[in-house]
Amino acid sequence: MALAEDTPSKYVTLVSGDGLEFVVLREATLVSPTIKGMLRGPFTEAKTGRCTFPEISGEVLEKIVEYFHYWYRNRDKEDVPDMEIPVEMCLELLQAADYFNLMPSRQEGREAA
Amino acid sequence: MASRPNRIRPIRRPVMNRDTTEFEPCWEILRDALTDIHNKNASRLSFEHLYRASYKIVLRKKGHLLYERVKSFEEDWFRVHVLPNIADLISNNLVSIALLQMPGSSAHERRQTGERFLRGIRSTWEDHNMSMNMIADILMYLERIYTAESKQPSIFATTIGLFRDHILRNSLGSAAEQLDQPFTIFDIVNAVMLDLINMERDGDIIDRSLLRQISSMLEDLYETDDEIENTKLYLTVFEPRFLSASEAFYRKECEKLLREANASTWLRHTQRRLVEEQERCGTSLSILTSDKIASVVEKELISARLDDFLAMEGSGMKSMIDNDRYEDLSLLYHLVSRIDKSKNALKVILQGRVMDLGLEIEQTLKNTDFSAPPADAAAEADDAGEGGDKAKAQPLGAAAQQTAAAVKWVDDVLQLKDKFDIISTNCFDQDLVLQSAVTKSFADFINMFNRSSEFVSLFIDDNLKRGLKGKSDEEVEAVLNKAIVLLRYLADRDMFERYYQKHLARRLLHNKSEIHIEKELVRRMRAEMGNHFTAKFEGMFKDMELSKDLSENYRDHIRNLGDADVKKIDLGIHVLTTNNWPPEVMGRGALQEDGAKAECIFPPAIKRLQESFFKYYLKDRSGRVLTWVASAGTADIKCVFPKVPGKETGPLSKERRYELNVSTYGMIVLMLFNDLPEGKQSLSFEEIQAKTNIPTQDLIRTLGSLSIPPKSRVLAKDPPSKNIKTSDSFSFNAQFASKTIKIKAPVISSTSKVEGDEERKDTERRNDQTRAHVIDAAIVRIMKSVPPSPVNISP
Repeated sequence: MALAEDTPSKYVTLVSGDGLEFVVLREATLVSPTIKGMLRGPFTEAKTGRCTFPEISGEVLEKIVEYFHYWYRNRDKEDVPDMEIPVEMCLELLQAADYFNLMPSRQEGREAA
Repeated sequence: MASRPNRIRPIRRPVMNRDTTEFEPCWEILRDALTDIHNKNASRLSFEHLYRASYKIVLRKKGHLLYERVKSFEEDWFRVHVLPNIADLISNNLVSIALLQMPGSSAHERRQTGERFLRGIRSTWEDHNMSMNMIADILMYLERIYTAESKQPSIFATTIGLFRDHILRNSLGSAAEQLDQPFTIFDIVNAVMLDLINMERDGDIIDRSLLRQISSMLEDLYETDDEIENTKLYLTVFEPRFLSASEAFYRKECEKLLREANASTWLRHTQRRLVEEQERCGTSLSILTSDKIASVVEKELISARLDDFLAMEGSGMKSMIDNDRYEDLSLLYHLVSRIDKSKNALKVILQGRVMDLGLEIEQTLKNTDFSAPPADAAAEADDAGEGGDKAKAQPLGAAAQQTAAAVKWVDDVLQLKDKFDIISTNCFDQDLVLQSAVTKSFADFINMFNRSSEFVSLFIDDNLKRGLKGKSDEEVEAVLNKAIVLLRYLADRDMFERYYQKHLARRLLHNKSEIHIEKELVRRMRAEMGNHFTAKFEGMFKDMELSKDLSENYRDHIRNLGDADVKKIDLGIHVLTTNNWPPEVMGRGALQEDGAKAECIFPPAIKRLQESFFKYYLKDRSGRVLTWVASAGTADIKCVFPKVPGKETGPLSKERRYELNVSTYGMIVLMLFNDLPEGKQSLSFEEIQAKTNIPTQDLIRTLGSLSIPPKSRVLAKDPPSKNIKTSDSFSFNAQFASKTIKIKAPVISSTSKVEGDEERKDTERRNDQTRAHVIDAAIVRIMKSVPPSPVNISP
């Protein structure tokens, strides 16, 4: 599903509120409709390939990025092992999943399960 | 997981400016962004920023407020920035051109105005659509949480619907004053599109992608904000109008074609239109319409006047068939297949054509036949007159002519069959419905012709006798196949059996054909018709084989006897089982005519031979009776013509030895001249007949073959006319000379020819008798199988 538009890089940079930067495979991030919308319009994020999330901590964003890759790796597979979720983070992650539109109402997110 | 002692951390309140969490500041951010998006300044906006603003609003349960604000913002935007542009597009000129079809406006002018208008609509739509998509993206969280929960139409549907409500459904205002009824911009869009399409149909070049984009706009818009799939404006408004306009267009076009063109043009035109419309759906409209418009074209251009076009004089289906216009027929087939799976119209004409052409063949044949009977009649009329010679020659010629006619009939039928086979393969995709229809018609006309059985058999006879020598296996195969094909059509198979038996008998006895081909043909007949049908033919083959062995064994037997016969005669004999062979061959025909069996008188040498053979034959098979059928045999005679006195040069100057191949009757007659008493040079017809007891007809033929054709004129006739009369007398032709050693006297009886009327009646009568027997047998069989009803005998 290579996009024919002038995508300069296969990677995008995700920046947390506390300044941590994650370079992620663009395709993997597209599981989140939020990021998808961010990258397809004419907005600054799409131009720079850099998405900043001022209200998300680096710790949580790291887990989110991990999920992106987890999803990307396993998207066509069956019976994949669950992702490791630290219990103490789950409320924050739930909130972030909601923000990224990864909730099961819209998306087959495994985090919420 | 729960067993882990970790505490769940509460969600940290992100550090943020307090007022950014309030509604108004957030809305301000969004409102500015909406303006920027509409003005195409979005690139300096941060999506995350805007998304978070709407996210916050929704989290604070102010979703409904945001929804309403966005909606009213868009309505305002529309009113202030979009509608004036649209209003500018609508000129009086456009309205009158599009809706009033003002006369006098050229197509060019209409196209220009129309396309300019559509382009305006398109660019407005594109802007609107793009903006709405972006706004919907920003408001994604609102869409997901608020609109889903509140069961409202999505913000996207609502805002995109503004285009429908405020532009398409906008009535024309001042521009519409000149119209009687209210019109909307949508009406103009439709009218312009249809006008452009009709222009393209008439050969103009139009902006297809423009049409395509407008169509897809209509596909993206729905009747209501609920966006129900089948209420796309394209489907609810445009498509019906398009279809009915197309219907009118093609109805007119069809009438025009009917008036001005021929069927061939019509076919090609229709085909082109169908392709064009499919293409149009792909390039200018929507593939949703493909099937519907195809059925409109089918209905208007094909079904509506199909019969009229098919019946067109000089170009209709009849002419296509007659002139082998395969391309036309193929087109026709494919077009008609679209509208009617049973292809009735084609079937009827096709069958009619087969019948007509078939009957034509018969008609031609009748015309050929006509040349014979009048000559016959004339011959009878002045038989005694001066035309006697000529008239007598006529029936013979006529018979040959008739045989030729029979072969021609079969050839013509086969040709016709080939013709329709080619049409079926080339044009009709070997359609089974049509094939069986044609087959039925063939069977019909072939069986309407009462001599078909005889003719088919004659045709096979002709081919096997003349044709097959020197032909390749493939050609032989083709002939055999043709024969079987014809056979399949015949209804009176018993008649055919009768004729075939007769013809086969002649071929076998005179060794006229190759036995393996005969057997192959019969084998195929058996496959086609069953064992019963070919039982007699196979019996005939068997007789032939047994006879061959018998002849050889007899020859050995004679050699072993050491019988020193001076005039050694080599006997080849065919012992034929009465039931398997036709009565004509067995001499039973003659029996019926004369009332008494005409046993001919054999010369003593032959007589001795016969007795010797009969004795030999009965050695193993006591109690059997052999009847000598002289009419069916042939004989090779070695004869010596002495030197003609007085001739010193040329062939006549020396003694000549020839081998004559003649019929058995011919042999008997010639032998008479061997035993002529001294001093007597000639024998009269009566004398010959008295000495041989050969039936008159046969004798005439025999003498004819020996005294008329120059190549085999071993007897001289007095008077030397071309006909044999009972008053003629014959003598040994000492002057006879031939370039070849072996001479074959043409045996007239061995040529299979068409039966005369009398003969045919006779054959039919006999066939009817056989049928009667078969029916009787069937009745008895059925009666026997029904258990007899108990008879109550009362005391």
